[in-house]
Amino acid sequence: MPEAAALELDGVEVRYGSVSAVRDLTLRVGKGEIVGLIGPNGAGKSTTLNAIMGLQPAHRGEIKLNGQALRRRSVESIARAGIALVPEGRRIFGDFTVEENLRLGLAARRRTYIGDPFGPAFELFPILSEFRGRQAGALSGGQQQQLAIGRALVSRPDLLLLDEPSLGLAPLAVDGIFKAFTEIREVGTTILLVEQRAQRTVALANRTHVLVGGELRMTLGPADADDTEKIIAAYLAS
Amino acid sequence: MRFSLGALVELLGPALLVIVVGLLATTASASNEVYFLNALVSVAIVVAIYVFVGISGVLSFGQISFVAVGAFAAGVMTVPVESKKGVLTTIFPILRDHSVGNVPSLLLAAALGGVFAFVVGMPLMRLSGLAAGIATFAVLEITHNVLREWTKIGPGATTLALVPETTGALQATLGALVAIVVAFLYQRSRRGRLLRASREDPAVARSVGVNIHLERLLAFTVSGALAGFAGALYVHLLGSITTEQVYLELTFLTLAMLVIGGLTSLWGAVVGALAVSGLDSFLSRAEQSDVHVIFTFTLWQGTRLVFLAAIMALVLILRPSGLTGGREFRLRWLRRR
Amino acid sequence: MSVLASIDLQTLGDAFGLGAIYALMAVGIGLVFGVLRLVNFAYGQLIMAGAYTLAYTSGWPVAASIVSCFAVVVALSLAMDRVVFRPLRSSSPAVMLVTTFAIAFLLQAVALIIDLRDGQLGEVASSIAPLNQAVSVGGVDVRKVTFVAVGVALGALIALALVLTRTTIGLHTRAAASDFRTARLLGVRANRVIAFAVVVSGLLAGAVAVLLTVQNPFVQPDFALEDTIIVLVGVVVGGIDRLWTATLGGFAIGFVSVLVNAALPTDQTVFLPSVVYALVIVVLLLRPAGLFAWGRRAAMERV
Repeated sequence: MPEAAALELDGVEVRYGSVSAVRDLTLRVGKGEIVGLIGPNGAGKSTTLNAIMGLQPAHRGEIKLNGQALRRRSVESIARAGIALVPEGRRIFGDFTVEENLRLGLAARRRTYIGDPFGPAFELFPILSEFRGRQAGALSGGQQQQLAIGRALVSRPDLLLLDEPSLGLAPLAVDGIFKAFTEIREVGTTILLVEQRAQRTVALANRTHVLVGGELRMTLGPADADDTEKIIAAYLAS
Repeated sequence: MRFSLGALVELLGPALLVIVVGLLATTASASNEVYFLNALVSVAIVVAIYVFVGISGVLSFGQISFVAVGAFAAGVMTVPVESKKGVLTTIFPILRDHSVGNVPSLLLAAALGGVFAFVVGMPLMRLSGLAAGIATFAVLEITHNVLREWTKIGPGATTLALVPETTGALQATLGALVAIVVAFLYQRSRRGRLLRASREDPAVARSVGVNIHLERLLAFTVSGALAGFAGALYVHLLGSITTEQVYLELTFLTLAMLVIGGLTSLWGAVVGALAVSGLDSFLSRAEQSDVHVIFTFTLWQGTRLVFLAAIMALVLILRPSGLTGGREFRLRWLRRR
Repeated sequence: MSVLASIDLQTLGDAFGLGAIYALMAVGIGLVFGVLRLVNFAYGQLIMAGAYTLAYTSGWPVAASIVSCFAVVVALSLAMDRVVFRPLRSSSPAVMLVTTFAIAFLLQAVALIIDLRDGQLGEVASSIAPLNQAVSVGGVDVRKVTFVAVGVALGALIALALVLTRTTIGLHTRAAASDFRTARLLGVRANRVIAFAVVVSGLLAGAVAVLLTVQNPFVQPDFALEDTIIVLVGVVVGGIDRLWTATLGGFAIGFVSVLVNAALPTDQTVFLPSVVYALVIVVLLLRPAGLFAWGRRAAMERV
């Protein structure tokens, strides 16, 4: 068994009106793990992340961070409890400078640390340090994604949620951010990664769950990464 | 157009409610009757606003312009010719030397309101959101300014008096019914449904070939005609009118009625107009003040307005979708076998 | 030429003075709109409450009178947020706006009841009236309050710009105004930035109350109502989505009103509102996203 759980979901259900987007979802992410969440469009992956973050309230079930219940808490208090979400579409503040975007990331920081507050971002993505005075909107897509991840990291979260971080990036940039995920795990940050790039995710993560129609269908390990048929079968299972 | 039973119920609910209020008006004492008539004229005005604001989803603060134009047109044209020479000395001779009867004045007001709305709407209907709200408000300001200062078309800043008081229980009820039926026919028509669909999702409506500009212009024109008609009912109820009575207060009060009733349904427009008018009348009686029609600054005497405003705010805070929830009238017990 | 000739230095001074006051009001309205997406029609009643406070404290030392004006306005502004805006946060813009109408009428009605206790409508704020005296500058008479208005407006705008760009709460407020959901996602406390915006907006209303009361010491329940309506129009014409375009819009409509008034033939000045509002319609048709809104956002069509 892996170490103590950082994140636990138990029987979570999320609804939009009368439609359940996620049903009876139970999963756990151990401290220092990367757990992947893959599945077809509309499977409920982003909804799951939004429910953890409090953006979309869960109707039923338990969500716990380090054993502490999160349900019914406000978005900002969940952020301040130690979860950072890198949302789909990056959502950086294009009119603000790179540094201002990073300063916003500090809003959720729980204590002050010695040294450069932007350290966690700059060590991983040196380009952000170089461009810190630039308008964020003028960065390339890959750099904007680096900024979005860096902005989440400066709050020194226990758990990092990533919503399709490779979407719309050039292949080289995708390589860059997947490499970064490994480095983030090495410093002890737990990651829950929602992705469309199934094979890469399975290869990277300690475990990858396949979500179809709002329900967990299958769990894959790194060994399954080369088994394309198995991954495809998991997607199609219904 | 074919109507299902459900659709007819949708019309019958508001219509019957208005008829009941009309009947109550005939049984009320002379001093109380005016409250009921005022409520019915409010229904006509609010339904007129609903036809544009409720169906298109575009905010307009300008619909009272058409009420004002209708009221002054019908008023000026029905003051008897012999009286006009004494009281309306500055107006164009052609207006001074002719007068018309009650029914023609109602039709004239509707026509003028419709034409004015069409002309104004042609450029303005390209706008949406706050820009549309402010541009239509600008129309209200200009209309008020011109009516108040241009003495060749009306009494200017003075009171227009000696207008025949023809809006009794019968005319008020029929007038409100006309507004309701026209609004119902329009919202049930293909074009009305297209416009409503465009409110829900403008991009989709555009992609299937709906000309939103044109549909909005049509709704604005129908709304303008109804508003002009309602203005004529109003002036024939009051017998005398100033430009201040068809300006800011009336704009805010009627919009509040619509939102309180439920912005997105005809039933909401009718219920909101009657509920707020009823509350206002009740508070007036409670305060034992003199009979008056619709509140203006000069009539502020005490706590009535505090209560009225507080209750309106409370309803909006506690029930933001309005008293009817923005839904049409239905007989739920009919459906539940 | 005759139009230009009628615009002398005195008129320009008045135009800057009114524009400055309107700019302050525009910032107050624009700040709250930025974080709440709510057009606060009742903003004028905050100013009215401040003006009444000045009138009722006329016997006090001027400084105490002004401080109590600010205290009342800020307290009322916070109360308005707590009791009215907070429950409305998820409502549609139409409901929010109409509710603020109701609040505006409510506050006016309350003011009327308080005002009429002495049996007379209106109160006089006499203690700060001396600011209204004229001083002669190069042969032109300019009222002192014009300088004060322009000075206060410039000072307040510069201070606010510094707070918004240099401080953490300023950064958080700007982020919330630009994308509230993402700001909260990053841990920005919604209630705190809203309270900040509401307090600053109240402070500005207090300043405007002082400036307007100096010009017109006779305070009635509809005090500042007309000004608020005009500023709301100016804010939308300038571009309500951004604070600086909203501010410029407020300034512009005050400035232009004074100039148009001076340019119109004397017997036609009664039509000033028609001319100004016709200009408003033309500008809205040409630039629906705002006169001063340039770049990407202006190009976006909003429905």
